[in-house]
Amino acid sequence: MLYREALNKAIDECMAEDESVIILGEDVGRYGGSYRVSEGLFSKYGEKRVIDTPIAELSIVGNSVGMAIAGLRPIAEIMTENFSLLAMDPVINHAAKLRYMSGGKITMPLVVRMPGGVSRQLAAQHSESYENLFTSTPGLIVLSASNATYAYHALKWAIKSNDPVIFLEHELLYPMEMEFKEIENFDPFKAEVVKEGKDLTIITYLKMRYDVLEAEKELSKAGIDAEIIDLNSLRPLDIETIAKSIKKTKKCVIVEEDHKTGGMGAEVVSQIMENCFYDLDAPVLRIAGEDVPIPYNRKLELSTIPTPDKIVSKILDWKAQNGI
Amino acid sequence: MEYKVVMPVLSDTMDKGKLVKWYVSEGQYVNEGDKIAEVESDKATMDIQTFKSGIVKKLLVKESDEVPVKSVIAIIDTEAKKIKSEKESSKEQISDSNERNKKESAEIKTQNSTLNTQSPSTHPIFHPSTHKPLIPSTLPKGSASPAAKKLAGEYNIDIEKLQKNGSLPIPAHEEDINEFILKRYFTPAALKLLKEYKIDENEFKLDHKITKIEVLEYIKENNIPKITPLTPNQKAVIKTVENAITKPTYFIFDEIEVTKKEGIKLTALLIKALANAMQESPLTRSIIKDDIILTYPASNISIAVSRDEGLYMCVIKNAEEKNLEEINEWLKTIKTKRLSIEDLSGSTFGISNLGMFNIERFNALINDKDAGIAAFGSLTQGKIKVTFTLDHRILNGVEGAKFINNFKKEIKNV
Repeated sequence: MLYREALNKAIDECMAEDESVIILGEDVGRYGGSYRVSEGLFSKYGEKRVIDTPIAELSIVGNSVGMAIAGLRPIAEIMTENFSLLAMDPVINHAAKLRYMSGGKITMPLVVRMPGGVSRQLAAQHSESYENLFTSTPGLIVLSASNATYAYHALKWAIKSNDPVIFLEHELLYPMEMEFKEIENFDPFKAEVVKEGKDLTIITYLKMRYDVLEAEKELSKAGIDAEIIDLNSLRPLDIETIAKSIKKTKKCVIVEEDHKTGGMGAEVVSQIMENCFYDLDAPVLRIAGEDVPIPYNRKLELSTIPTPDKIVSKILDWKAQNGI
Repeated sequence: MEYKVVMPVLSDTMDKGKLVKWYVSEGQYVNEGDKIAEVESDKATMDIQTFKSGIVKKLLVKESDEVPVKSVIAIIDTEAKKIKSEKESSKEQISDSNERNKKESAEIKTQNSTLNTQSPSTHPIFHPSTHKPLIPSTLPKGSASPAAKKLAGEYNIDIEKLQKNGSLPIPAHEEDINEFILKRYFTPAALKLLKEYKIDENEFKLDHKITKIEVLEYIKENNIPKITPLTPNQKAVIKTVENAITKPTYFIFDEIEVTKKEGIKLTALLIKALANAMQESPLTRSIIKDDIILTYPASNISIAVSRDEGLYMCVIKNAEEKNLEEINEWLKTIKTKRLSIEDLSGSTFGISNLGMFNIERFNALINDKDAGIAAFGSLTQGKIKVTFTLDHRILNGVEGAKFINNFKKEIKNV
């Protein structure tokens, strides 16, 4: 199943089940969605439940917050994560806080979906990730879907959640053909151990999962048996799964596409320090995007983000440097 | 205040007691009079109780360990107040939030959602347990990774001192400490055995220096096999003999008369006679390749040579043109010389001789692509029993018989 089809299936099933579920965003209706996620839904559910909006992110999320307060279950789509900056006020000041400020009287069954990350030559204003902004906001749940199975189950879970969920996707994942399986007793907050290993733990999420898997083939040729963990949920963070793995491997590498400084990886490292310090046999290695605006030129663009080659060489250098 | 629980004196003759079982664990709250352990003296088994209430701070003796009477086996912190167990408190939290959710849903009935909706705040991940990461009680000084220090602390290893005298690298990692622990508890010979037999060091109680003898006893007791990987030569031999049994072969059993010559190895005589006989039987100089037969002019013979590193089929080239002295010399050097591919290929017929081991008769497996092989037994009263194994695809019975008659003639003349 294609990644985007898994998202479509989740939305479609929830909309069929519950009339209060609606979607809104730029080109989600007649056009079927910029990445074809909402394909077919407009003709099925009509313009009252599949709403094409103006190019105005503040209004998309602001209206969604109002709908959620009034009892609907809106799924807002932001075309690119960079654009979500315009919607930060309703996300942070309203969605994240109203349940708390109303003493629990108001619930916020809202999902804001958005793709982020470096795609192919979309340049500095369309290539960023803001995991760090969302995950540092109390009141928000932040999920990142790297694969069809998690995307389907987690999005369904998010739509049914009475708390606001920021649902992060990646532009390069939409057309990818992926394995899909139905899961009973799905837990959106559980990190996935993608591959078990004993020598070191590689923590990653979203599209970097695939770069890490590619790099792992080379590492394995070099005799390194890596354990790979896909975080899935970025807030809350499943530190238990991470701690369990580090207890076994004693070494940890974090691979993220976002800029290194103050990124998601920095928070993961902090929690590792708090929970696993005495299990570590080497300083944690962060492999992240460079601290520069993402360039347009393809070669320069690739030079600013982790690639399988870079992941392998950085891990080998780090091992040599630390004598492990 | 700390209250120390000691191993009680249960009888006049008791000088040691065995701790059979702990009823409590570290961190658990105990009341005065609670049973905390079962101990065994030379005569009886009985429970011991604590005379003070508090939290069990440390259990100093492992189950089934023996300790002298009156030695401290547990420490109880009598000042610590009873706190609610983790389970109890988290239960309360969850029921609290359930309560709240119920209230909420009662208040917000304005919603017309038909989905089976959920409030994630009841998820356990939002209610982290009070569990804090365990901080090791003793951490040695020195430059080492946290994991290395933790391990060193458990074994009372002074990293700083060992780094000063060069026994540990700076910084030290877990692997270095592990190695040090092994060296501390095992003699070098014992360590070598552990590696050879792939035995986990944890099979031994690490409280004394373990010698080779102790490891050997363990190996014997548990019938542990020594692990030796096959050498490249052994693998090659296996491949050759497995290939040999797939060939359609037949045997010819015969006896030859041989007169030994001073200073010449018997095998040299056999090689020379065989080389001459091969000149008269072209099929013995032939190999099959796909659907053609390749017949070579030379008598190239493979000889089974047992060297220190294994069995090799060494090939003597143009044996028909060599005299006995040359062949004799070749046999001497081939035993020890460094073998090249040239020395091991290009043969069309083989010889194996077990006569020197007093074997009367045996049959051999054909080497590589050879047409056959002659297996020689011991020389008894001027006679040797020989078995020819022949590849029926190359030599039929009649050709085989003619070849062997030629050989018998030649052996008389060499």
